[in-house]
Amino acid sequence: MVRRLLLVAALAVGWAQAAPPKHDMAAMWSAQQAVARPLAVAVAFDDAGRLWLARVESGRLKVAQSEDNGRHFTWPVTVNALPETIAAEGESRPQIAVAADGTVHVLWNIALAKPYTGHVRYSRSTDGGRSFSAPVTVNDDRAEISHRFPALLVAGKRVLIAWLDARERQAALAAGEKFAGASLYVTESTDGGASFGANRRFAAHSCECCRLAVAWRGNEAMAFWRQVFDGNVRDFALADLSEPGQLMRASDDDWRIDGCPHHGGALAADGQGGLHLVWFTQGQARQGLFYRRYDGQKFSAPYKFGNDAAQAGHPAVVATGRTITVAWLEYDGQANRVWTMQSRDGGRHWVQARSMASSEGTVDYPILLNRQGKPWLVWHSEREGLRAMAVAK
Amino acid sequence: MRRLLRFGLMLLALSAGWALAGAPKPFAADTPAELAKRFAGKPYLLAFWSVDCPHCQGELELFARLLREQPDLPVLLVSVDAPELAPQVTARLAELGLGNADNWQFADARAARLRFAIDRQWRGELPRSYWFDAAHRVQGVSGAVSEMALRHWLKSGSD
Repeated sequence: MVRRLLLVAALAVGWAQAAPPKHDMAAMWSAQQAVARPLAVAVAFDDAGRLWLARVESGRLKVAQSEDNGRHFTWPVTVNALPETIAAEGESRPQIAVAADGTVHVLWNIALAKPYTGHVRYSRSTDGGRSFSAPVTVNDDRAEISHRFPALLVAGKRVLIAWLDARERQAALAAGEKFAGASLYVTESTDGGASFGANRRFAAHSCECCRLAVAWRGNEAMAFWRQVFDGNVRDFALADLSEPGQLMRASDDDWRIDGCPHHGGALAADGQGGLHLVWFTQGQARQGLFYRRYDGQKFSAPYKFGNDAAQAGHPAVVATGRTITVAWLEYDGQANRVWTMQSRDGGRHWVQARSMASSEGTVDYPILLNRQGKPWLVWHSEREGLRAMAVAK
Repeated sequence: MRRLLRFGLMLLALSAGWALAGAPKPFAADTPAELAKRFAGKPYLLAFWSVDCPHCQGELELFARLLREQPDLPVLLVSVDAPELAPQVTARLAELGLGNADNWQFADARAARLRFAIDRQWRGELPRSYWFDAAHRVQGVSGAVSEMALRHWLKSGSD
């Protein structure tokens, strides 16, 4: 009997050791967020032409500034004293904006323990970047669900934050209903970020893993994002987030996909009422990278760019007067390369594309900025570090 | 006692099986060409997934079900997660009962490089599947594949 019991005990131990490890999605998610190379940076030029940089190091968002277009940076100032699991890769990116009065606004995403969950965090500096306010969580729903992919728009004392939020989705699923994608949420401050209004749901059924693109058109906070239209069609929408209202369909590519492309678009305003949109699709109607202009009444025909046989993707756009500059990423089998193309007539005609920089290691998306009326490209790569360069007209 | 012994032997066999079902094989830039050789004149399916892709999880459950019905289906599962995530990938596969499937994982954190070797046009959206027929004409699909489409593919390949 004793022998039999011992045998059973031995077998039980053997069983415990041999059983496949229980799949712990939470641990897995955390590990993924922790090892993700934090290549995604946030950059902005202030009115004086200083380059501001926010990047993640060991769970802290750090802000530095450069007087010489990124060749040298000041010693970085830590925003969050307590380390957080900050998402900083691909579509999930920190944000930085410098207001005309010098207030520095930063926004980022922390990953929570459960997979695909996060909170949106905000802080500001009112002393020229020497110190930052204690971070606050922007989403007023604190459930351990997705509040992610935040975008930031600053003009004077107005600070508008938009993000993708899963609370509606969660409620629908709990009620046994289906829900496509996530929802687009907004909150706004009118006192320079000292306080924010209530969270406001702007639209349901955004695609859940593609970054938002935002730009001011006068007082309108315009957003351009991938939306789930009827039939699981993940095309783009355009809307003014500052007022509750309707979204417009901004692309009719007919990309039916039961998955998330992880591939948001970009948006720029030209100061004369024109909006400039770039995006990626693999729809029935068209495939690849496209540009189109919106003049407030109608959209121009989609204009195709980039080499499909080199994974052309992750486009950026900036408007400097009538000059429109577009940048994107390609991989040619040897190196990642940033290409740019320009239009001098507000997006009607385009000059031949040219290669701006390359890297053979891992790379971030290209970023385009307006530096005192001139287009600049900023690109972060593992091997070369941060590179900033003027895009000649 | 004999029943207990038989039970014990079964457990030993099972644990040996699990021990053999180790980490996924490294998927490198030359792997697509090797697979084409290995499956010369035969169809196969390459299915790409990652641990942080919500839409991939349902598709993996579907593969687990199909492989339980027909363990010799020519289905290769490839995780595009960075190499340091191997423990997480292995754990997920084990939980789905896919530990013994033909598993692979990207061997280079530069995913663009490996995607280029598979399909120059693939921007990385997931899930992503490639069906090679017996003549190795390839059909690529982005997004979760329906069970009907999968069964149709697999059936057309075995005819």
